[in-house]
Amino acid sequence: MTLLVQAVVNGLQMGFLYALVAVGLTIIWGLMEMINFAHGEFLMLGMFGAWWLSATLGLDPLLGMVPIGLAMYGFGVLVYRQLMRRVQRGDPFTQIFATIGLLFLLQNGVVAGFTSDYRFVQDSVLTRLSGAKLQVAGITLGVPLMLAAALALVLFMALYLLIDRTEFGVALQATSEDREAAMLVGIAPQRMFAVAWGLGAALVAVAGAILANFFAVYPQVGLQFTVLAYAIVALGGFGSILGTLLAALLIGVVQSVTVVYLPPAFKDAFVFGSYVLIGLLRPQGLFGRF
Amino acid sequence: MRNGLIALTALAVLLTSTLVGQRVAPAANVTEVLIGSVLPLTGNFAALGQQYQWAAQTVEDIVNNDYPDLQVPLGPGKGFPGLGGAPMKMIIRDDQSRGDLARTIVEQLISVNKVHFINGEGTSGTTSLLQPVLESAGIPMACHACASPTLTEKGFKWFWRTGPNDKTMVASVFSFLKEWREHGGPGDLKTIALFTCDNLFCQDNRKVATDLAPKAGYQIVLDLTTKTGATTLASEVQRLQAANPDVLFSVQYPAETVVFENDAKRAGWLPKVIATSNGAYSDETWLQAQKKTNGAAGWLGRDPTAIDLVHQRPSWQKVNQIYKKYSHGLNMGELAMREITGLLWMVDVINRAKSVDPAVLQKTANETNMGPEQLIIDYKGIRFENGQNVLATGVVTQVGWDGEKHTVWPWDLAAKANFKPVFPNPSWQERDSKPKPAS
Repeated sequence: MTLLVQAVVNGLQMGFLYALVAVGLTIIWGLMEMINFAHGEFLMLGMFGAWWLSATLGLDPLLGMVPIGLAMYGFGVLVYRQLMRRVQRGDPFTQIFATIGLLFLLQNGVVAGFTSDYRFVQDSVLTRLSGAKLQVAGITLGVPLMLAAALALVLFMALYLLIDRTEFGVALQATSEDREAAMLVGIAPQRMFAVAWGLGAALVAVAGAILANFFAVYPQVGLQFTVLAYAIVALGGFGSILGTLLAALLIGVVQSVTVVYLPPAFKDAFVFGSYVLIGLLRPQGLFGRF
Repeated sequence: MRNGLIALTALAVLLTSTLVGQRVAPAANVTEVLIGSVLPLTGNFAALGQQYQWAAQTVEDIVNNDYPDLQVPLGPGKGFPGLGGAPMKMIIRDDQSRGDLARTIVEQLISVNKVHFINGEGTSGTTSLLQPVLESAGIPMACHACASPTLTEKGFKWFWRTGPNDKTMVASVFSFLKEWREHGGPGDLKTIALFTCDNLFCQDNRKVATDLAPKAGYQIVLDLTTKTGATTLASEVQRLQAANPDVLFSVQYPAETVVFENDAKRAGWLPKVIATSNGAYSDETWLQAQKKTNGAAGWLGRDPTAIDLVHQRPSWQKVNQIYKKYSHGLNMGELAMREITGLLWMVDVINRAKSVDPAVLQKTANETNMGPEQLIIDYKGIRFENGQNVLATGVVTQVGWDGEKHTVWPWDLAAKANFKPVFPNPSWQERDSKPKPAS
C-alpha cells in the first residue's frame, strides 16, 4: 500500500512539472487554437538560458527566469509577427510545417552555437536541495519538487486570473472565438495573437529555467516534453487552464503507478491510452467545451 | 595455326592487363584518398557524433601533416607514402541520428563522391542498416565504437570493427564481479538488478548480462527496461528499492542517468555496487559534472582501455594535443580513443594496400596484424576474425573520490594503477559531505 501511495505522490510531483511545461501551450494551442510544434524548443531555449546565466554570471535559475521570461516574451511576439501571422491565413498544415521548420531551425542553431554536449545546472538553490525531503507517514516528499510544484501553482493561478478575470483575458478569449466580432468591439486581433505567443513562449521558457535544475540540458531535450504537453492540453480540454493542470497531474500519476505494477514500456502506452479513452467518452477533454 | 595461338594469347594478356589496370588503380593515379564518414552530428546521438567528428578531424590532421615523433600509423611524413604522398580527404556528413537518412547519405558517398572507405555510423542500430548497402556495393566500411555483437556475426565481408564488442566489455564487468571476492573484495554480493534503456545497444548489453550474471554467481532479482527519453524514473527506483539488489547493472544514457540520480537521491536509495556499461559512464560531460557533486564516486564500468594508465603513453599525449585543437580543449574520452584508433587502422590499411581498389583493401584489411606499440589505446593489437578485432580488450574502471577513472580489472593493470576500490557505494549523505573534486 505504501508503494502505491508513494507512487501517487511521486506522480503528483512530476505532474506539476508537466503542468509547467504545458501551461504555455494552453494559451497558444488550447486558447488561440494555433499549432506550435516548436513548443519544446522554446522550453529548450529556457533551459539553455538558465544554464548559461548560471554558468557565466552565477545567476540562480530562480532569478534567471525573470530575464529569460522577458526575452522569450519578445521572441514569441517576434515569431508571431514574422512567421505565424503570415501562415495563420493559410491551411492548418501550413502552421504545422512552419513550426516544424522552426523546431529544426532552433534545435540545429543551438547545436551549432553550443554543440550537443549535455550540460548541467549546478550550485543552484534547487540542486543544493536535491537530497532534502520530508517524511510524512512513511511517504517521501522531495523538497525541490515541492518548490517547483508551488511555482507551477503560482503561474497557473496568475494565468487563470489573467485570462478569466481581466479585460485583457476576455479580449483574448473573444479573439479566439470570433475574430471579426472582436474587431467590431475595438479589439486588435493581431495584437492579441502576438501577446498570446509572447506569453506562451515566456511561460514555457520559465518552465524550462525551473526544469534545468532537474534535467540534463541539451539541444534535443524539448521533444520528450512536447509530446506530453500536447497530450495534457488535449486531455484537459482546449482552453481550460484548470483542465490542463488536472490533466498534467493525472498523467503524472498514471505514469508513476503504471510502472509500479507493469514493465516501464507500458508507461507511455497507458498515458496515451487514457487520452484515447477520454477522447472516446468525452472528446472535448475533461474540462473543455465545444 | 601457331601464329594464331600466339596472337590469341597476346590478345588475352592485353585484355586481362587492361581489365586489371582498370580495377586496380595504380598508386600514382590516386591524387586524394577519400574517406566518407556518416555521423549523427545532430539529433538524439549528437553528443556521440561530435566526438567522432573531432576524432575524424584529428586523424585527417595526423595524416596530412608531418608529426615526426608521433609513433602511430602515418604520423611521420605527409600523406600516404604508399600512394605517392596522396593526401587524405575526410568527407563528413550528418545523418541527424536517422537511419533512413544515413542510408541515403552512404549511397551518395559511394555513387557521387566515390569514396574509398566508409567510416560510421557510430551507433550500432544505424550501422546495422548501412551494412547491407556496403555489402552489395562492395565498399569497405568500419565502425569502431559500435559495440553490438550482432554487427560482426552476420557474415558480412565488407565490415570491420577494431573496438571490443559488448560481449567482451560486459564480460569484463562480470569477470571483475566474479573474481573480486578472491582479490580482497566483498564476499556477500549475491543479487543483481538489470536497469537498461530500450534501444539496440542497451538491449544487447542486457542480453549479455542476463547470460553472464548467473554464471558469475549473481541472482537476477529485477530486470527493468526503461524508455529512452524518460522524464521520470521515480517508480523504477521504487521497484529497485523494493528488490534491494546488491549490484545494479545500469545501461543508461546521460540524460536518463541524471533523472535516475535525482530520483534515487530523493528516495535515499543506492545499492552496494553500481556497475555500468558505456552510456553516461563514457560521456565526458557527465563525468565532469559529477565532479561537482561526487555523484559518480564509486560507480564502476567497462572501458576499452585503462584510461588512467594510457595517459602515460607519449603517443596518447601527442594525439590528445591534436584532438584538443578540434574539441574546444576537451581531452579524448574513451569513445574518441576508440574512434581514432580505428581511423588510424583504416589509413594504415590504405597505405599498406598501396591502392584504393576495394578488393585489395578488403584483402589488406583481413591480413592486418598490428602490434600494440602502434596504438594509443591498450588493445593487445589488431587482428581480425570475421571482421571483429579479436585483440580488442575490455578493462573495468571505477570513479574514485577524485572524480577520475581508475583501473580495477584486469588484475595486472589494476596493480599498476594501484587504486583501492571504493566499497560499498557511498551513500548520498557521504557524497554531499565529502569535498568535491571540482569545487
